[in-house]
Amino acid sequence: MNGPGTNGAAERAPEGWRDLSRFIPWLLGFCVLLVLPWLAVNPYQNYLLNVILINVILAVGLNIVKGFAGQVTVGHIALAAIGAYTSAILSVKFGLPFWLALPAATLVTGLAGALVGIPAFRLEGAYLALATLGLAESVRIFISATDYVGASIGFSDIPPPMLAGKPLGSHIAYYYVVMPVALVGIYLSFCILRSDIGRAFKALREDSLAAAAAGINVRKYKLLAFVISAFYAGCAGSLTAHMSPGFLNPNSYTITEMVTLLLMVVLGGIGHIWGGVIGAVLVTIINDLTVDFYQYRLAIFGMIIVLTVLYMPRGIGGVIDRHFATKRFIALRKAKASVNA
Amino acid sequence: MLEVTNLSKRFGGLVAVANVDLSVRQGEIRGIIGPNGSGKSTLFNLISSVYKPEPGSRIAFDGEDITGRPPHDIARRGIARTFQLLRIFTQMSVLENLLIGHHSHVRYGVGAAVVGAARVWAEERRLKQEMMDLLGFVGLADYAEMAAGELSIGQRRLLALGRAMAMRPKLLMLDEPAAGLSPVNVDKLLNTVMALQKRFGLTLVIIEHILKVVMESCDTVTVLDHGEKIAEGPPAAIKDDHRVIEAYLGKEMADAEVRAFLKAS
Ligand SMILES: Nc1ncnc2c1ncn2[C@@H]1O[C@H](COP(=O)(O)OP(=O)(O)OP(=O)(O)O)[C@@H](O)[C@H]1O
Ligand SMILES: [Mg+2]
Repeated sequence: MNGPGTNGAAERAPEGWRDLSRFIPWLLGFCVLLVLPWLAVNPYQNYLLNVILINVILAVGLNIVKGFAGQVTVGHIALAAIGAYTSAILSVKFGLPFWLALPAATLVTGLAGALVGIPAFRLEGAYLALATLGLAESVRIFISATDYVGASIGFSDIPPPMLAGKPLGSHIAYYYVVMPVALVGIYLSFCILRSDIGRAFKALREDSLAAAAAGINVRKYKLLAFVISAFYAGCAGSLTAHMSPGFLNPNSYTITEMVTLLLMVVLGGIGHIWGGVIGAVLVTIINDLTVDFYQYRLAIFGMIIVLTVLYMPRGIGGVIDRHFATKRFIALRKAKASVNA
Repeated sequence: MLEVTNLSKRFGGLVAVANVDLSVRQGEIRGIIGPNGSGKSTLFNLISSVYKPEPGSRIAFDGEDITGRPPHDIARRGIARTFQLLRIFTQMSVLENLLIGHHSHVRYGVGAAVVGAARVWAEERRLKQEMMDLLGFVGLADYAEMAAGELSIGQRRLLALGRAMAMRPKLLMLDEPAAGLSPVNVDKLLNTVMALQKRFGLTLVIIEHILKVVMESCDTVTVLDHGEKIAEGPPAAIKDDHRVIEAYLGKEMADAEVRAFLKAS
């Protein structure tokens, strides 16, 4: 029998395989990450590993709105604060377990992201940066002045996640909460950005007028970019809150932290997913090695951002891309030469 | 199909388009000509809702009033346009440019895309295949993966045309599609446009400075000057209209000699 039905099934089979094989590198990555914390020589390194992963989530989210959709926002750090404090309030004041506080904080931050996105309907570039900076600072100042969340003293005793009646208080245990979330976050950002949504983001970054003329609802996609990136920020914020010692302070959400976050994305590569991840890892480590120079950080990181934009506009990700493109080109030329010979 | 009535646009004191009426039939090829700054591009920008027209203007498409609708809505209804300065996405690949044009026809939603559902990947493969076919039609298939910014000017014009065609429009508005091309390339582009028009039964509105293009291809020609419609009719009649010749050359030059030259061209 050679009916159309059998034919169709034969065609579908390899496609199914292609879809499955997409997951193989992710599974391999997951396995490597499973053993990673056991390479750490002390608990501090485990703590640092968690901070790196949380920053990866933040940077991947920021890359969506800034790198792909081209919206110059300086409000991302405030969204992380909203996620962190929402999660803290829900678990400390309302007794919600971490496993509910995390998604709830993510959702609330998504809504806050929509509010940050509304100025983007009318403003662009430096004006948008100023507007979002204003929003971000008011969030921080509000937290600093609100006794309910510990004001400028800080919010303490936020409980760690519980699993089967046991707290995941140690850094190594917490790693197994943070790591899967970070990996899923990166994977989802691939799904989003490799789809039509990612293309629409890039189109409005490059020329929103031409994008609109091609049928893209500019407002909808700007808002979507802000909301998606806010989900990431909220999730990262919540993960920060419940990490031991379970303490939050408004001073962790200042302009210095925002510039640090920007540096991750700019140095890693604007609009390059892995670039953003690499940037987050590098900058977090640099950050940790230079804690003693915190007061100079704003100046130094700001300068590195300017230098990167001037001399390496597509960041580390861009350099890697070019390296591979050159390799492919050389291989192609060799293949052609051998055909001619 | 397109009914424009009493369309006006002012920029400060300057009247860029003044009380223009325009009616384009289904399947027609309409030429728009006029000297520099006569309001041709502004007319397109008003129809595609890039600019907001003055009160009292009315634009209807397929019998529906679309005045003041947002640009993406106009595009979704089947009006595609190219820009005089092209505005292709230079940092994206040639194929991606077409995929952007095809945005309104993507058959999966945000939710499916976010979780990377299998049908999203299947649909992406279908979209890419369809757009590769279209790229073949405009003669850019070999450049699919190249950044659009690396294309030559002629290829860019083809890409702008391809991106508009990817929208599967009913009405296609081309703003000087052949400007800056060598005569050979003008013919090539024109042949492509006409082949597309026939194949998809498009309604075409073309702004063009190259008179040969207008005279040979258009059913009707509309002439603008200082934002006003000064003449309309079949190309042969327009060519002899004294107001048109005056508009192009100024009164004093519109003598018999020039007229003869225009006729010969
Ligand atoms: N955004 C704008 N702001 C102010 N004035 C404008 C704007 N757009 C167009 N104009 C003016 O409106 C008039 C008509 O311009 P338009 O671009 O429509 O002319 P055109 O017929 O397309 O000319 P060309 O043949 O040079 O393309 C010109 O005087 C132009 O300077
Ligand atoms: Mg023009």
